[in-house]
Amino acid sequence: MVTFLQVALDGILSGLLYALIAAGLSLIWGVMDVINFAHGEFLMVAMYLSYWLGFLWKVDPLISWIASGVFAFLIGALTYKLIIRHTIGKSAMAALLATFGLSMFLKNACLYMFSPNFRILNDTILGGKTFSVGGVIFSLPQLATSLFSLGVVALVYLLIKKTRLGWAIQATAMDKEAAELMGIDTERIYVLVFGLGGACVGIAGGLLPSYLATFPDVGGLFSLLAFVCVAMGGFGSIPGALFAAILIGLVEAFSGFYVAPVFKYVAVFGLYLVVVFWRPRGLFGW
Amino acid sequence: MKRLFIGRTMVAKLFLTLFLVALLTGGAVAAEKVIKIGTLFPLTGPCALAGQRCQSAVETAVEVINNSHPEIKVPGAAAEGVLGGMKFVLVHADHQGKPDVAKSEAERLIDQEGVYAIIGSYNSSCTKPASFVAERKQKLFVCGCSSSAALTKRDLNRFFRLAPTDETESLEFVEFIKYLNETKSAGIETVGLIYENTEFGKHAAEEGKAAAGVAGLKVIADVAFNPGATNLNSEVQTLKAADPDAVFGACLGGDYTLWVRTMKQMDWLPDVALNYCTGYQDPIIAKQLESDGDFFMGGTGYSPEFAELMPAVAAVEKIYMTKTDPSVPFDSDCIQEAIATLILAQAMELAGTTDYDAVLKVFNETEFDSPMSLGGMVVFAPGGQNLKAMSILTQLQGGSYKKIYPLDLADTEPVVPMTDWGSR
Repeated sequence: MVTFLQVALDGILSGLLYALIAAGLSLIWGVMDVINFAHGEFLMVAMYLSYWLGFLWKVDPLISWIASGVFAFLIGALTYKLIIRHTIGKSAMAALLATFGLSMFLKNACLYMFSPNFRILNDTILGGKTFSVGGVIFSLPQLATSLFSLGVVALVYLLIKKTRLGWAIQATAMDKEAAELMGIDTERIYVLVFGLGGACVGIAGGLLPSYLATFPDVGGLFSLLAFVCVAMGGFGSIPGALFAAILIGLVEAFSGFYVAPVFKYVAVFGLYLVVVFWRPRGLFGW
Repeated sequence: MKRLFIGRTMVAKLFLTLFLVALLTGGAVAAEKVIKIGTLFPLTGPCALAGQRCQSAVETAVEVINNSHPEIKVPGAAAEGVLGGMKFVLVHADHQGKPDVAKSEAERLIDQEGVYAIIGSYNSSCTKPASFVAERKQKLFVCGCSSSAALTKRDLNRFFRLAPTDETESLEFVEFIKYLNETKSAGIETVGLIYENTEFGKHAAEEGKAAAGVAGLKVIADVAFNPGATNLNSEVQTLKAADPDAVFGACLGGDYTLWVRTMKQMDWLPDVALNYCTGYQDPIIAKQLESDGDFFMGGTGYSPEFAELMPAVAAVEKIYMTKTDPSVPFDSDCIQEAIATLILAQAMELAGTTDYDAVLKVFNETEFDSPMSLGGMVVFAPGGQNLKAMSILTQLQGGSYKKIYPLDLADTEPVVPMTDWGSR
């Protein structure tokens, strides 16, 4: 029973992290119909910022997530201003290829600047700390990252649903021209959405170095799983992305332990295929 | 006038022809003075760190070959170039850790760049297709550190590998366990395997299982994982549930750090953790893991702690450290790529020509003097395996690779069982 609970806990904690990465992607995808291929690289850049803040100035990831979030917000906003804006109204492939190019640029720039070294942050406040409840081990860095993720996802959801800015974002997502006629500055909304998407993944990236090595390829699989969460949850649905992310975390953990570790991604992507076949718009898609 | 004009045109044509011939022959003469060697390593992707170090090691060897270094006690170091002054010129390629890219890059190196030989490719999964390409195109492939034993069981004629194989290391592992059981009453009866699901990992695991079976050890956990995973929770949970006395690990780079840290997070350790050619051997990873990396063990072909066994390495290592991070010495993998390059130069020198058949004959029939190898010599068996390849079992203690087995080379007592996480 303890093992079962441990596996379930691992799955939920992983899922909550995927949810935060997916929330940003879902926001961008839902509002702008743009697939940000550089999402994983935003995560990687944020991890590097957090790592260097920790390594050079001993800033703990529990603090540096703020800097990473702000930095990734700026990268997101700049990405829109400098790249995405020029692809609006053109083929969907244009934005996709542009962000793919950006991902290659960011990855290789970090490879050039920081080398492919695996950089591990030691002596963090939570680093390596655990506590046990009835034999189930809670890893503090993972637990903190997951709780932060849940909090940030909830905040983003509330922002979209309960604030005037959120309503403007929703209006822009539904009908850009009508939103403009209502006086909404859709250009500003797009900048904010791309920035917010970046900030979500930036916060995750700021927290991750407390237990994960930072290197130029670290974002790859996270980004792929985030795409699956968004597609499974329903394009533009943040609760959908959260639900799908936890489901993916659980499927990954249980299939990895009870079937075979090498099977876990077979199960995750198999589930994705089933959902897409059964509900092409995703579980919570409109 | 017309005749005069034709005459002038003909003279001009003649001069032009002579000029072109001179240019071409001059170019050919110039081309003869260099030997193009291809390097094929993972310069980007998850194994980029190791790949870039391997490439730097080859560059170091080429520096030794091309310039006169009488202070370096390695065959050919005192002379400038090979065969009376011909210089090695490197053409680099990046396979990103992907077998399909390795194959196409090997084709490009041979067909478009016209390299004489290829040195590479770190990942066994990439060495396999790339060396098939070289064999098909009748070019030499000299492999430093890819460790899958299957590579030298393919009966290729132009493939030569310097490093010990997973088979050799697996036998060393079980021999060491036997020694621990007999002399230290370690009581190690069960083995777990954790390995990346690649050519290298799968083959290492097969060899590990076979060696364990022969030694009467029971394999109770067999955990393959996809490299580059976001977490290794279920993998470590599976090991923890089976609780083997010893674990054989084949986890490269970032996966190795994740494996070690996940074991700490799950508060579990086997009595003995023995690693193949993996992240364990990477001095940067060892340094970054700090005390978490201590008490793990593995086969080691070189570490600065081996200086007294391999005195010739120090002078070459000094050059190597100018090409990478000055604080990072050779590691067990990249030093093999430097040796591969030096052996290739030595073979050409001994053959007295660049003719493939003559050089191949030297590769197949010569006992090479190799002061940078732990074995001191290099002798290739049919299929290309270096029969003199050897490694020493080390254990990380206080961040330093301590020699623990075989006993005649050991300088430190192994810490068995590994010190638990809470007591470090």
